[in-house]
Amino acid sequence: MNFQIGWRNIWRNPKRTLVILSAVIIGVWSMIFLSAFMRGITDQMVRNGISTLTGHVQVHHKGYRDDPGIENSMTEPGVLETVFNNTLPPDTLWTSRVRVSAVASNARHSSGVTLLGADPAKEGKISFIGGAVTLGRFLKPDDPHGIVVGQALVEKFETKLGRKLVLMSQDTGREIASRAFRIVGIFRAEMEATEKQFVFVSLPAAQEMLKLKKGISEVSMILNSHQEANEVAAVLRDALPANDYEVQTWQEAMPMVTAILKMYDGFVFLWFFVVFIAMGFGIVNTTLMAVYERIREFGLLKALGMKPWWIVRQVLTESFYLLVLGMIIGTGLGALSVLALSGTGIDLSSVAAGAEFAGMSRMIYPVVESKDVVTANLVVFILGIIVSLYPAIKAARFTPIEAMAHN
Amino acid sequence: MLKKGITAACFTFFLLIALVSKASSQDIQELVQAAVEYYRGIASIATVAMTIHRPGWERTMTMKAWTKGQKNSLFTIIAPPKDKGNGTLKRGPEMWTYNPKINRVIKLPPSMMSQSWMGSDFSNNDLAKSDSFVEDYTHTLSSTETHDGKKVYVTESIPKPGAPVIWGMQKLKIREDFILLSQAFYDEDFELVKAMTGSKIQMLGGKLFPKIWKMQKADIKDEYTLLDYIELTFKDDLPDRLFTLSSLKSSRR
Repeated sequence: MNFQIGWRNIWRNPKRTLVILSAVIIGVWSMIFLSAFMRGITDQMVRNGISTLTGHVQVHHKGYRDDPGIENSMTEPGVLETVFNNTLPPDTLWTSRVRVSAVASNARHSSGVTLLGADPAKEGKISFIGGAVTLGRFLKPDDPHGIVVGQALVEKFETKLGRKLVLMSQDTGREIASRAFRIVGIFRAEMEATEKQFVFVSLPAAQEMLKLKKGISEVSMILNSHQEANEVAAVLRDALPANDYEVQTWQEAMPMVTAILKMYDGFVFLWFFVVFIAMGFGIVNTTLMAVYERIREFGLLKALGMKPWWIVRQVLTESFYLLVLGMIIGTGLGALSVLALSGTGIDLSSVAAGAEFAGMSRMIYPVVESKDVVTANLVVFILGIIVSLYPAIKAARFTPIEAMAHN
Repeated sequence: MLKKGITAACFTFFLLIALVSKASSQDIQELVQAAVEYYRGIASIATVAMTIHRPGWERTMTMKAWTKGQKNSLFTIIAPPKDKGNGTLKRGPEMWTYNPKINRVIKLPPSMMSQSWMGSDFSNNDLAKSDSFVEDYTHTLSSTETHDGKKVYVTESIPKPGAPVIWGMQKLKIREDFILLSQAFYDEDFELVKAMTGSKIQMLGGKLFPKIWKMQKADIKDEYTLLDYIELTFKDDLPDRLFTLSSLKSSRR
């Protein structure tokens, strides 16, 4: 009966109910949509990071992370291969790379780059480069002088396909190694910085240039899902001699992204809170108005012997209806708008430079996480009920005499 | 019969051409080699004033240079006092610089090789890669000119495939007495990037030598670097200890 009366009570003033309902709806919708948008940004960031040559798990020579120089390369990749074959889940993809910093130059320009000696067949399946070559071709397995560079680098160097690029770096004997390459392919990447930073040559070419013999700088692998990384890394840490190798998961390899993920978690919660405060004032105000309008009614109920607790319950039921209705419609709208945008994505090309500065990609695809939906609704519901306690208790405290005196 | 005769004639003709061009390409190779050797000498000691000219300012420093063959060289600044003692040592493809103010020898990393040498229009690479010039390029004769009554060969040097050089072509002007008159650097579109020209040929260190060298970038007008040989002596040998790190640091040589 309580619920029936509550339901009828809120429709005694439909205009007011609709106003507060729309406040709740907009609040819930914005919470869900914004969290989905933020999750979309971070999700894209993680994907970018992983495909931009990080992978889910990386293996390096001990000390490479602190000093990614040629001295810290792994000289016996055969050992790694046996361990991988014995321990990794069967459908894991992995590839070896030579990765050193180098200087690329042509007749007019020069700039620092990261030289990647890659195994073309495997690399294509593991990192973004697989589908990224837009002009020319990707490397052949033992291209002696082919190089694949990014579009932005090509523009910066005023060069084009077929032109020469000289790379210089330090070889294992600490001497300057230089080698001429010809641009055979040009790739595009999500970020301009990636296009400027990475140049790809074949693994044998890099090893020959740097006098590495069979040595490699890193192994990167892709697992079935992001979550398996810790498990696989633990297995590898046990299997590989700890004095020679270090194993990192993507969270450890990209501390910046991990930190940003945590920060965004905080942001989402903060956003929920801010939206709620705005909404909460609306709820308190409206409920208070409704309560003051009905002073005589409450006084009468009191006079008839109604317990104060029942009155509290009555007012809270009304709030409950408002909140639940708003939550259902808001969540529905949020889901719909995310659904509508998840296909096309949100195009940030017009502000690409700024977005890139913040580490965001050009297209954002919102992602709904059930955790966020539940948190948003719980925050609205629990805090909504708590703030409604104030008008409810106020209503319960009217004495019949006060009520009668009130006009 | 006639047809056969023509074929035979043609064949002989092409054979001749092939022989001639082969011989001349070898000659050109030797010409370039000789010019480089003439320019460098077996060993040399020089005092050079380097003037760096920019639109807003100009500065001159005087340095002493020792070279031995094409591999080893040592430069140290002797004036102005502010820069005195700064030096560069080159041994093979590697270079070190020394700054007396911080008393440190720095080995030039690959990242600095393409940067300018002491703020001039020369890059570190111009110095470091100068030894492999003869081997890294294929040299051909493009034309001959006459300057001051002397025959001047203009050679075009195209890098061999795989040679780690950034230029698309270099053009040298070599006088018939092996004096190098100019060296021009081109990119892969064969557009001029920068050029070094010698002038004021006079007796220096017992042979004719351009006293003034000017290095200028092609597309910038009012910027250049001048090298003025104040003193130049060619030697038969210089001790190897001159081209060591301790020699780079010490002021007495």
